[in-house]
Amino acid sequence: MGRTLLSTLSFLLYCLSITANAASDGGSRPAGVGPEFAKYYKDPSTFTCISAPSIVLDISRLNDDYCDCPDGSDEPGTSACSHLSPLSPPQPFPYGSPSDNSTPALPGFYCKNKGHQPSYIPFTYVNDGICDYELCCDGSDEQSSISGTKCEDRCAKIGKEWRKAEEARQKSLGVANKKRRELVAEAGRLKREVEDRIQTLRTQIQGAEMKVAALEKNVAEIEREEKGKIVRGPAGGQGGKLAVLTQLAKDRITELVQNLGRVRGERDEARKTVQELEEILRKFKEEYNPNFNDEGVKRAVKAWEDYAAQEKPGPDAAHDRDLDEMLKSDAENGINWEEYENHEESDVEVLYKFEAYLPPPLRTWLDSKLRSLRILLIENGILADPHTSDTPESKRVTDARQQLTTAQSELETDRSELTRHEEDAVKDYGPSDVFRALQNTCINQDSGEYTYELCFMTSTTQKSKTGHGNTGMGNFVRLETIETDEDVPADGKGVGRGKRWVMKFENGQHCWNGPSRSTMVVLACAERDEIWKVAEEEKCVYRMEVGSPSVCGGSWRGGGRGDRCIMSCRTVS
Amino acid sequence: MVKHENFKTCDQSGFCKRNRQFADAAAATSSWTSPYALDPASLKFKDGQLSGTILKSLAEGQDQVVLPLTITFLESGVARVSLDEEKRKKGDIVLRGDSKARKERYDETASWALVGGLEPAKGAALSEKVETGYTKVYYGAGGKHEAVIRHSPFGIEFKRDGESQIQFNERGLLNMEHWRPKIEKPVDEKEGEEEKKEEEKPEEPKGEDESTWWDESFGGNTDSKPRGPEAVALDISFPGYEHVFGIPEHATSLSLKTTRGGEGNYNEPYRLYNADVFEYEMDSPMTLYGAIPFMQAHRKGSTVGVFWMNAAETWIDIVKSKTTANPLSLGTKGHTDTQTHWISESGIMDVFVFLGPTPQDLARQYGELTGFTAMPQSFAIAYHQCRWNYVTDQDVMDIDRKFDKHKIPYDVIWLDIEYTHEKKYFTWDPLAFVNPKKMHKQLNKRDRKLVAIIDPHIKNTENYPVVEELKKKDLAVKNKEGNQYEGWCWPGSSYWVDCFNPAAIAWWKTLFKYDSFKGTGPNTFIWNDMNEPSVFNGPETTMPKDNIHHGGWEHRDVHNLNGMTFHNATYEAMLERKKGEIRRPFVLTRSFYSGSQRSAAMWTGDNLAEWSHLEASLPMVLNQGISGFPFAGADVGGFFGNPSKELLTRWYQAGIYYPFFRGHAHIDTRRREPYVPGSPYTEIITQALRLRYQLLPAWYTAFHEAATTGAPIIRPNFYIHPEDENGFAVDDQLYVGSTGLLAKPVTKESADSVSVYIADDQPYYDYFDYTVYKGAGHHTVPAPLEKIPLLMQGGHIIPRRDRPRRSSSLMKFDPFTLVVVLDKDGNAEGTIYVDDGETFEYQQGGYIHRRFSFDGSKGFLTSVNIGTKGTKTDAYAKAMAKVRVEKVIVVGAPKEWKGKKEVVVSEEGAKESARRKKAGFEFHEASGKSAAWAVVRDPKVAIGKGWRIDFS
Repeated sequence: MGRTLLSTLSFLLYCLSITANAASDGGSRPAGVGPEFAKYYKDPSTFTCISAPSIVLDISRLNDDYCDCPDGSDEPGTSACSHLSPLSPPQPFPYGSPSDNSTPALPGFYCKNKGHQPSYIPFTYVNDGICDYELCCDGSDEQSSISGTKCEDRCAKIGKEWRKAEEARQKSLGVANKKRRELVAEAGRLKREVEDRIQTLRTQIQGAEMKVAALEKNVAEIEREEKGKIVRGPAGGQGGKLAVLTQLAKDRITELVQNLGRVRGERDEARKTVQELEEILRKFKEEYNPNFNDEGVKRAVKAWEDYAAQEKPGPDAAHDRDLDEMLKSDAENGINWEEYENHEESDVEVLYKFEAYLPPPLRTWLDSKLRSLRILLIENGILADPHTSDTPESKRVTDARQQLTTAQSELETDRSELTRHEEDAVKDYGPSDVFRALQNTCINQDSGEYTYELCFMTSTTQKSKTGHGNTGMGNFVRLETIETDEDVPADGKGVGRGKRWVMKFENGQHCWNGPSRSTMVVLACAERDEIWKVAEEEKCVYRMEVGSPSVCGGSWRGGGRGDRCIMSCRTVS
Repeated sequence: MVKHENFKTCDQSGFCKRNRQFADAAAATSSWTSPYALDPASLKFKDGQLSGTILKSLAEGQDQVVLPLTITFLESGVARVSLDEEKRKKGDIVLRGDSKARKERYDETASWALVGGLEPAKGAALSEKVETGYTKVYYGAGGKHEAVIRHSPFGIEFKRDGESQIQFNERGLLNMEHWRPKIEKPVDEKEGEEEKKEEEKPEEPKGEDESTWWDESFGGNTDSKPRGPEAVALDISFPGYEHVFGIPEHATSLSLKTTRGGEGNYNEPYRLYNADVFEYEMDSPMTLYGAIPFMQAHRKGSTVGVFWMNAAETWIDIVKSKTTANPLSLGTKGHTDTQTHWISESGIMDVFVFLGPTPQDLARQYGELTGFTAMPQSFAIAYHQCRWNYVTDQDVMDIDRKFDKHKIPYDVIWLDIEYTHEKKYFTWDPLAFVNPKKMHKQLNKRDRKLVAIIDPHIKNTENYPVVEELKKKDLAVKNKEGNQYEGWCWPGSSYWVDCFNPAAIAWWKTLFKYDSFKGTGPNTFIWNDMNEPSVFNGPETTMPKDNIHHGGWEHRDVHNLNGMTFHNATYEAMLERKKGEIRRPFVLTRSFYSGSQRSAAMWTGDNLAEWSHLEASLPMVLNQGISGFPFAGADVGGFFGNPSKELLTRWYQAGIYYPFFRGHAHIDTRRREPYVPGSPYTEIITQALRLRYQLLPAWYTAFHEAATTGAPIIRPNFYIHPEDENGFAVDDQLYVGSTGLLAKPVTKESADSVSVYIADDQPYYDYFDYTVYKGAGHHTVPAPLEKIPLLMQGGHIIPRRDRPRRSSSLMKFDPFTLVVVLDKDGNAEGTIYVDDGETFEYQQGGYIHRRFSFDGSKGFLTSVNIGTKGTKTDAYAKAMAKVRVEKVIVVGAPKEWKGKKEVVVSEEGAKESARRKKAGFEFHEASGKSAAWAVVRDPKVAIGKGWRIDFS
């Protein structure tokens, strides 16, 4: 009996203590009420539900651990209305409000945290037996807990530590901002360099264009002249039909030899690749787990076994030696092209010799007339252009053309460099162009069995610590911004909440049974460039959280005091 | 797709083939006579036990085989029939091939499976008046049960109230393959035309097909079978019973199908041979990971059953025969008989017979024998978040934070095999799990737990103390040569700890101590996987049958027990991690046997992220419930593959009704934690999770009921309504405990409503808006994605805790809401069981157990104690003294309450002045289809106290 009396007493005491809580608090606000809501809690005898003013309650119902208001405003200091949320199973609510969950009027339980920053914590955290010091350093969230949990006020200590940390953060932020300014300056310098280069290139290109134009004209001129010349044969009368043939043969053989060499190189390259692949597959067959029961793997192994079982001719040394011979220079092969090229009195020449029997003026006249006629015919498409037929070009034309080609390719180089620079100049390098300064920076971080590397604006890589080689996790494709919403750990190494710059890397190494690897690099302000966290969000889709001074300043920062609250960050002045 | 070629059909399993042929032969011969006869002279009856000798006749000129029989009549009304082989019992046989195995038939299943219920019936008595050739024993409460034993051919008919319920050897399929020496025959005679019906002339021994008697090969592995053929088989008939349930684990309907062909039926018997079946298929009698050879037959007004206690590979054929009503004789209704044929490879025959008459009786009696579900820690019935794998300790802590951030409750995070250092159990990957202590600490901040996987295969490698000790102490399973058996599993070459060996269990316990399994703490719990055992290079992905366990028993004899011995050992180890810190262990197992419920929870193994698997999970989990192992669940979301967001959401909405509720995913799948799919899916899933948490008091009470009465935690329609013939096969909806909560999870894509089957004439109310459904039959209940079809049967009082918390432990001291759902007569009743959810103090009375009753005629809602006082009762009551009922909701409230503003509350032990206090009251009229309801505002009564609320 005595025991029951005692427990009844303690129960009563408990009820009293709740009321006491509501009433105390310096006579100002009931427990859990933030200053911006104080105005609703002034009436000493009644309470009116904030968003349902038709409901007026006796003051004894305020913070009595029973949810009366459809918006929960009568229980700012308890968890009685914590179920009011679209995340809870719906249930009919008294007072005839709609038969689903109403929106809570209050952002949470207000912890004064004297000696530190005040904050709101979710009602679901109130009186649950856990001291949520991260949010509620004064322990007021468990004041009316019946679990026996006592949460002492740690605000003095936590506040001090926080201020110290905040000071360090601010200092760090200062350093980081300074670094950022330096980076921006560096980026500016780099940009100017690019712009200067663009200027130089533009001038250069103008000159080159003029040169090309002149050379084009020159070539055209010479060609025009040469078209006529053919009637008489090349000046100097070198070579005849045989020489032409020889020239053709020589060119053709040179071409073939070059191509053979190239093909052989490619073949060797391919052979190496095949060997490499075979080695991978051999290893794969040895090391795979035959009972893993992965159909794909089993099929691959079976196919490999079949493939390996086939009789395949190995590289033929004799054949290769032959190739080596063929690729030696013509001279070494005993061919002297000169002999054939310089052969005088070609057959073609003979045909024209009759001119020699004409008197010189007539010959000249005839010659010029024939030439004009020929040019006319060619230009009117009646006669074939000798240069488009198999007739070799004259040395003069070739030389002129050569000059032109050189000039043109120089121009092309300049132009493409210009395009590149022009593109680069307008490329998105983030705020104030700052990432320009990080272009050649790479940073590393160990995580689990890998080291992760981020080369800003370039690529991400996963490097195995256990000797399994590197894996490309993507190449830079673009910058984006996202909204993050995360708590920042005590060391400040977290992306926090707000708008953040993101570097997207895509088309990395392809995954077994999956997509090509890709990485999203989320950047937040920090004193130095550092990879904080790498997570494989889903198969072969990575997320890196990276600190960098480049994104400091303005709203682009992680950490900081605003990020401490879970629900809303209204602070008192 | 399951690889059928990896698993035997009956035809590929020699003893199954032989016994099916035996059955075919018997069916084909009208003059079939079972060659087994009881020797009347041998019969003795003493202390509830009838013993005697059965003689098996062989061919002319051969000695009869002596088979000792005992029939024990138990106090509980259960009968146990055991049959052994004398020659083997005496060790009077010769083993082939220099075998190291034992000569006896395995008879130790009982020592693993049974824990009680074996008291012989004092009241059992031989009947004086019997026909010659029969022996009759009366037993059971009031002598209502009788066993009529026919001497020749041997057979037993079990009757209740004079009516035949179960028949043994009615079809003459009893077959105990006696030991015989192998007679080497000339080569040319071997392997004759085996398909000929040689069984028709068993008196012609030369003609017997020996092809499956000796060595048997399958999938490149040869079983040496040193004892030759040794199967035990028996036909068991259930006259007048159309439905049989049980014998998990199979991916099949609750009401078992027939197995000898025909439209919509199976061609293969149900098989029980615990195996790691990769990508198992739906609607199949194929074996799965666990085995409970307990079958119950049900008809209107009666439930009976048999427990075939054998741990060897077992096949069960089921056929049904319909007798159509005779139109000439009025009153003779047509009925269906179910005939079953049980075939095990080895061991003694040991069968328990249950005569009901209710499903509740069976649950209790089976539970008395094999043990009731262990009362779990309260966290274990909350939500578990698993994935193969959370890859680092940082990853785990990140998931933990994300749940809080998204305001989603969860209690346990799990680690699959990748946390280990190179698959060496009891180690942590030093690069990925750098600081497991810190990880545990963070989880512990919200009173959350971590479950780590520990499998029975121990990596065969250098510098691994665990394997070194295992080898040195010689605690591994042996191969047929008697050397430690080496096979392949996750780590590659491995050994298997032999938990049949008490020394192995003793050693196993040492491995879990905090200073042995470093980095673990009081909030670490264990998951035992691959304990069928799964052996990648073994026959049917398991161990060779001629492997040898402790005591010289062949693996063949004990296979289906193997998984249980392992999780039992883990359970024991978890009790002894630290002196003076005894907490209820939590162990999840994939493989199981009868009795596993005493120490573990189970899940249905590696399912697929497909709608069909979501659908199949319900009958599977329901079947676990009625088979004595109700702490069961399927992987939410589906293990293999990526579920669509809709499927994931629906699976959560269904998963909240699995007693064991865990989300899990394969390593190749995308992340799918509840916050991943985004709006609106995440919100809808969160609502579902919060609904599970809100109803945890009801779930915990249901677990307590399972732990004390053997009742299923989720219950099929027939269990609640055993008289309702239309509902016997219903297996796509469920009741939660005794709460009257009727759930019909959505298992079809794009559904926006479900058809709920209502069995009785009580009103059923929608859980969320109190819409009334009334009348037996099917009712359409809206089920758009955001709506969970959940009804409340009138007549119950449901306890809830409505305040959402981060984990279940943080709800410990939250107040309760009672939902009083009135039945058609205006009454309701319910119970609540609460304890500390952690320790064993409940065994000394440290709990609150109360019955709430609402008496409509008086208008009283009362709470009375139904617990038994123990040494810890007062201490617990004190700890819970301030925990109150904050709200009482009455659904289906009488309209006379309109205008009522207050009710009178009185509490025991309250001071005179406070004896009759007033509490606020509100009445809400019925509107449209929604019922009237009322709320008592904060009656301020303690959950542990007696009290009364007067509504009059």
